[in-house]
Amino acid sequence: MSSLPSLGQLKLLDPSRVRVVDARLDELDVEIDGRLYRGVRPKRPFPFSHPQIVILYSGDEELGILRDYRRLDPKSRELLEQVLRVIYFMPRIRKVLSIRSVEGKYEWRVLTDKGELTFQTWGRCVRVLHDGRLVVRDIYSRAYLVEEPEKLDSRSRLYLSMMI
Amino acid sequence: MSDRREDDALLIYPEPQRLPESVRSALEGGEEVVALAKTDMRGGDYGEDYVVLTNARLLVVNERLVEALPLDKVKSVSIRGYINTCVLVAEVDGGQRSLAVFTRGRLEVFDRLVAIANNIVIGKVPYQLLKEQLLNRVREEEERRRLSSTRAAILRLLGLLRPIAPVLVATVVVAVAIRVVGLIPPYLMKILVDEVLTKGRADLLLHVILGLLAVNLVNTVLNSLNAYINTRFNVGVTNTLRARVYRKLHELSLTHYDRFGSGGLWSRIVDDVNRVQWFLSVAFVPLFINAAMVAFVGVTLATLNPWLTLVALTPIPVSVTANIIYRKTASRYYHRLWRKWSRIVSVISDTINAAILVKSFGKEEEFTRKFEGYQTEFERAQMDVFKFEQQIWPAVGLAFTVSSLLVWWFGSKDVLQGAMTLGSLMAFTSYMWQFYSPVFGLIENVRNLQLLGVAAGRIFEILDIEPDVREPPDAVHVELTGNVECDNVWFTYDGIHYALKGVTTRIRSGERVGLVGPSGSGKTTLAKLLLHLYDPQVGSVRFDGVDARRIKLSSLKEQVAIVLQNPVLLDTTIAENIAVGKPGATPEEIIAAAKAAKAHDFIMRLPEAYDTEVGMQGSRLSGGERARVALAAALLKDPKILILDEPTAALDALTEDEVTEELERLTRGRTTIIIAHRLSTLRFTDRIIVMENGRIVEEGTHEELLKRDGLYKRLWEAQLKGLMRMGAAEVGGEARGELVAVARAA
Repeated sequence: MSSLPSLGQLKLLDPSRVRVVDARLDELDVEIDGRLYRGVRPKRPFPFSHPQIVILYSGDEELGILRDYRRLDPKSRELLEQVLRVIYFMPRIRKVLSIRSVEGKYEWRVLTDKGELTFQTWGRCVRVLHDGRLVVRDIYSRAYLVEEPEKLDSRSRLYLSMMI
Repeated sequence: MSDRREDDALLIYPEPQRLPESVRSALEGGEEVVALAKTDMRGGDYGEDYVVLTNARLLVVNERLVEALPLDKVKSVSIRGYINTCVLVAEVDGGQRSLAVFTRGRLEVFDRLVAIANNIVIGKVPYQLLKEQLLNRVREEEERRRLSSTRAAILRLLGLLRPIAPVLVATVVVAVAIRVVGLIPPYLMKILVDEVLTKGRADLLLHVILGLLAVNLVNTVLNSLNAYINTRFNVGVTNTLRARVYRKLHELSLTHYDRFGSGGLWSRIVDDVNRVQWFLSVAFVPLFINAAMVAFVGVTLATLNPWLTLVALTPIPVSVTANIIYRKTASRYYHRLWRKWSRIVSVISDTINAAILVKSFGKEEEFTRKFEGYQTEFERAQMDVFKFEQQIWPAVGLAFTVSSLLVWWFGSKDVLQGAMTLGSLMAFTSYMWQFYSPVFGLIENVRNLQLLGVAAGRIFEILDIEPDVREPPDAVHVELTGNVECDNVWFTYDGIHYALKGVTTRIRSGERVGLVGPSGSGKTTLAKLLLHLYDPQVGSVRFDGVDARRIKLSSLKEQVAIVLQNPVLLDTTIAENIAVGKPGATPEEIIAAAKAAKAHDFIMRLPEAYDTEVGMQGSRLSGGERARVALAAALLKDPKILILDEPTAALDALTEDEVTEELERLTRGRTTIIIAHRLSTLRFTDRIIVMENGRIVEEGTHEELLKRDGLYKRLWEAQLKGLMRMGAAEVGGEARGELVAVARAA
């Protein structure tokens, strides 16, 4: 483990001393060093760039940082991922079926890993992440991820190029 | 799965037959559904759950009852927001309980459900009152929905424009008359060709020429009249609407200013009113003109030659289709072009505005590369627009050329066979071109009418607002003595987040109270409620025992003054800005107030002294100068209750020390509430109220609070530590000034 710059005291958690015992929607029951915390909420400080880092909160208190939650034991990891799926729910766009302009907005019909979706966006709606992935935000600020834009079919790429 | 549909709205007191079977069976005897919302997720995937708020319980139901929390066990309900999802959470004994998950698309619906639930569990609003208010709101919303349809909005707009109805009618009549008169010359040309030139009827020549002259004269007169009436109409529309919206602005409470933002309100007064005027002149009036023209010219063409008329109509379907395709697709190309352009602008703007950053980090090359890359993309986008346009319009042009050639082909044959005169053919081709334009105009008018409805709807959004603070007809004037009481005051700006949570305190007449706490703790909100800029949703603010709601707004405004943290000045002279609180103040009073606020000296250093124009929002003065002018205005008003929101925040430490001393003198015997981050400003207060997260957590004198190991002590120590550090580093007079102030307070 590389040493962190000493910008402040970081409370790093040892994954072997963290055990998730239960999960419910966006909350976990977690045992850290043998002490049980109920209603713990995991948050990703870098949800797009470093999703493996998770900070655990009990109310407003920061319990500590998991630098890579995937190092938790399988059961704990599964429960944590179950909660992360609720908190960071984000459909992946596999294909853009159509984009049409409706009353000053854009109506997208897309095929995602969660099925076919229709949503509306404003003009500025696509953010290009540093690794080339795209995040499309609809008028409710919901995000949809395009993981490998260059691998989409040509029609989808044409539609996306109109919006970037 | 798609976006919100009508049946996804929050159902308020739904009729039992509208409830899903699973919800109906989950209800107990006598239980009444207050509100029902449907989620769009279940667990970590799309799905549906029902969240049901009844008069007794909060339920989560899908095919079966998943969760049932009795309301008397629920302390509050809230929403946790994540990137895409939100979780409905209930605070119960033993902590928080996550109940249901939904995407942000359903946030508005659940925001309302939460607000209603909190009104029951936190606000303890009597159930009958709650029901009555909610049902009223439902009725109002239904009415608003009915009125906001395009048709209704346009009809309402015309209703608003009734005062200028004669001008509107005159505009239409004159415009139609111009077009009708424009139809006469081709007919006269037909007579000239057929009768005068072909048949040699010289007697008609003078009549035809005089006829053409008369038509031109009438046209000239009508055009001048048209220009005059149009100007009257446009000015009339904008003035009538703008005056209505502007008057309404003064009725709005600050909640609405916050909701729409200054830009939003500005755009409704200026942009939407202009838009309505523009759409009225390009859509509404031309609608009648084009319809009249299509009818007149169509009949004329059919009379001249029905068969040729059919030939002349052939390019219309092609053109209409092309128009539809263009409208659907063009925005995408232009949007892309605009996006590419805005990137170029953003690089230029970064280069200029962040020049120091670019240079100090040696980013010149990177920025240049970025700029050139964007430039290439912009060029490509421009070429795509060109190619797209070339695919559409040449084809349309070709359709018209072919149709026109066919008209000449068949028409010429008719003339050669004697079935049609040459004059008729010439008149026909001339009318034909006059027919196309209004047909396309009508298509455009219908589209613009929709946009007119939208713009009108945005204006009605403002005009239809019911003010938050409404003065009852029997409101009374109260001569304040300065006693203020807050009794279990709950307040939320957005119906979700409570800025004040059960604040109860009493400030005696003449008492000087400090209000401290971290940012967002509710201090400024409490001050705004004391000014009666808002009404609390629960609880009451009382002045001398009288509920603020029962006191005339003018009465409070005369006797309560506030000096804001970032004071706003009017775009006028310093003297008028000081006199704003006391119209008709004498020059001596103005100077005295300025002296008291330590503003006189800097004012006198200005060449035009008290007559100096301060500029838009006081931009020609520094922050500290603006603060002192605002303080002078408040002091001149001689209020019974003075609220100072960070009065010395913009002052340097030494001036702050001077002003604080002056404040001590000026506020003696006057009820004064001072909000301050710099605790040294509060050294002369009788009592300090400490707020955190919307609640009062501590109260007492400076010494009493220091003895407790509470938030105040922590804030005090943090400030002292910071100042000591500055003092130790000997950064100069300013820090020493602060230390002097703190040392005095301590």
